[in-house]
Amino acid sequence: MHIVVPIKQVPDTARVKLDPVTGTMIRSEADAVMNPLDLYAVETALRLKEQYGGWITVLSMGPKSAARSIKEDLAMGCDEGILLSDKAFAGSDTWATSYTLSTVIRQSLSFDLIIAGERATDGDTGQVGPGIAAWLDIPVATYVSRILSFDGNRIEVARLTEDGYERLSVPLPSVLTVVKEIAVPRLPTLRGILKARSLEIAVRGKADYPFQDEYLGLQGSPTRVVKIETPLISRKGAVVTIKTEEDLSQAAEEFVRFLSQKGLI
Amino acid sequence: MAVHRSNSGKYSHSNTADPGAPVSTANGPSINRGPSASRAKPTEITPSILEELKAIVGPTHVWTDPEKMESYCHDETDAKSYGHMPDAVVFPRTTEEVCKIVKLANRYRVPLVPRGAGSGLSGGAIPHQGGIVVSLERMNKLLELDTANMVAVVEAGMVTNELARTVEEHGLFYAGYPMSLETCFIGGNIAENAGGGKAIKYGVTGRYILGIELVTPTGDAVWLGGKLSKDVTGYDLKSLVIGSEGTLGIVTKAIVKLIGLPTARADLLVLFKTPKEAIDTVPVILTRGIVPTSIEFMDRLSIQTSCRYLNETLPYEEAGALLLIEVDGTNAEQVETDMITVGELCETRGALQVYVAQDKNNMERIWNVRRNIAEAFKVYCPVQSLEDIVVPTSRIPDLIPELEALSKKYSIQIPCYGHAGDGNLHATLVKDPDMDMLTWKKVEDSCLRDLYAAVARLEGKISGEHGIGIKRKKYFQEIVNPVELELMRAIKRAWDPNNIMNPGKIMDL
Repeated sequence: MHIVVPIKQVPDTARVKLDPVTGTMIRSEADAVMNPLDLYAVETALRLKEQYGGWITVLSMGPKSAARSIKEDLAMGCDEGILLSDKAFAGSDTWATSYTLSTVIRQSLSFDLIIAGERATDGDTGQVGPGIAAWLDIPVATYVSRILSFDGNRIEVARLTEDGYERLSVPLPSVLTVVKEIAVPRLPTLRGILKARSLEIAVRGKADYPFQDEYLGLQGSPTRVVKIETPLISRKGAVVTIKTEEDLSQAAEEFVRFLSQKGLI
Repeated sequence: MAVHRSNSGKYSHSNTADPGAPVSTANGPSINRGPSASRAKPTEITPSILEELKAIVGPTHVWTDPEKMESYCHDETDAKSYGHMPDAVVFPRTTEEVCKIVKLANRYRVPLVPRGAGSGLSGGAIPHQGGIVVSLERMNKLLELDTANMVAVVEAGMVTNELARTVEEHGLFYAGYPMSLETCFIGGNIAENAGGGKAIKYGVTGRYILGIELVTPTGDAVWLGGKLSKDVTGYDLKSLVIGSEGTLGIVTKAIVKLIGLPTARADLLVLFKTPKEAIDTVPVILTRGIVPTSIEFMDRLSIQTSCRYLNETLPYEEAGALLLIEVDGTNAEQVETDMITVGELCETRGALQVYVAQDKNNMERIWNVRRNIAEAFKVYCPVQSLEDIVVPTSRIPDLIPELEALSKKYSIQIPCYGHAGDGNLHATLVKDPDMDMLTWKKVEDSCLRDLYAAVARLEGKISGEHGIGIKRKKYFQEIVNPVELELMRAIKRAWDPNNIMNPGKIMDL
């Protein structure tokens, strides 16, 4: 089984600083880390490989320094890494990103499964996984919390929904996006790290694949960030002072009225 | 670690908790006692003393309500065994106020107990003879960050972690960093000469204290040391105060040395089949020329208890012991090379698996296993004796069989973990939940005597970083060289003629 795991780097949330004037995030390459939610995709892929055999390709799009994150995945046990690094890809939104990744996957990789993290902790959209499925025109199961069975042709998964769990049987090839609940990511081992050091990461650019230029990067991205605002959190509460026992029943009535006005009871 | 345990139990005030304390401090039955209860002189706090205290620090900064003072009657040692109510707690804001409090205490011969965050582990901040607790928590400011001299001037009540965070923003590092990192105060660190997990490479608190402002036991303020790297101008009184457990005065300010912030770090979690294999590896690493930031040891019992407590899924079941090794530096490649060298060394010594953490999440994950041992054992049984023995690093391998033998002899669990890299191990005697307290006290006493005798045979000492306080006083006085003890007593008598400054701690006079 060939599994492709798309990953990305995000700013280390512990170190994120906001520009006080523009309100945007100050990004520096040194502080970038692998999107923590992608680790669950890597772990899921590794467990499937351990159980059924296979090959895991880690695919990322980003600056050259993103190779560090791919190395971490190789150290955990993934088999190869491809880094798409080109100025032409810069500024991609989720539409352009999923186009770019899917083009590479379609063109150069035979694959059975694409396993992605639920979302990235910076953009928080959760769109790239399903986007890849759309471009490749294959099924997608999002928020997968458990792999129930696999018979070579179909994979049965549990999907976390707002009301509980859904069981889905999905034909291969398909895309899964996984939630934290699915597995605890393993720690890399020294042996894994030494092995990863000896593996080359293929760095590819615009010229290596048959991209349609107008779909790439900022110009291929329909999304425009117009303005970033910090939401104003306002608590519109009411204070009722109770001084005597008579106040108490009156206060209770006011409390009930307040809650029903808000549609809470 | 919490500053204050939310334990709402009432603590015993009987003097059985401290067999070494003078008989005159006997306080009657095991109930909470307000300040008005009668007691033998000279430690009685009269309403007029309270009025004077209020005049010094302001009425809201003098507490006598037993419920409010409850958090000030214990530290991180077992409150039921060692806790004792103060007669009052005062919260000075300035050095001048501290001087006035000390002068007042001298006039009326009232014991004073200086207190930081209360995260101590030997009862040093417990008012075991009553008296006035002087809490430094309002003196918590960073007074000066002198980047030209790479020093900071801080008040004693500053949270050490906050100091570290503040200087980090300037690319600087405060390296005297103990384990209870979230809560402890710099003043408490100085009083105990606190150590911690990074001592092999960076040393203990004392190395980073260039100067202190001390309020002497007679109420005079004096600066000892200064912003100086070298200073042999007379006796090194600053060093005498560091680690004196609040018996030689109240430290009110400190000049701390800062160093460049290490920018790269890697952690190894190494599983071994047996404690012996793990421990034997420590001297091998230390003699290779790489100085790790930490080498922490955990035995099987510690690993399993902590991992179960944390729901940690690492495959630890096979492991009889583990080492947690950290390397750091300012060159990422060098750090990685060191990490690999140390890891491979462990592999040649029979490591079952070498896990590597190079990002913050994984580092937190593996350090959590180490940090939560004590909490995890409190779930099993809150009654325990956390020991702090220290031996020369080459003798650590000999210590493990001694502990195993004691565990067998007394049929109690003795999980052992700690700073293997500097020979400082926190063997912990854990009471069986079913054992009654009276039996436990006897078992604890005999077992400690055996343990300390073993430590002495291995050229070690009974406390590496927690101090003597009241918890180890009895044993310390038995084991210490009488000449050394007499010198210590002579110093104490000379500095504190009325014996009001944290009396009854470390030794009896």
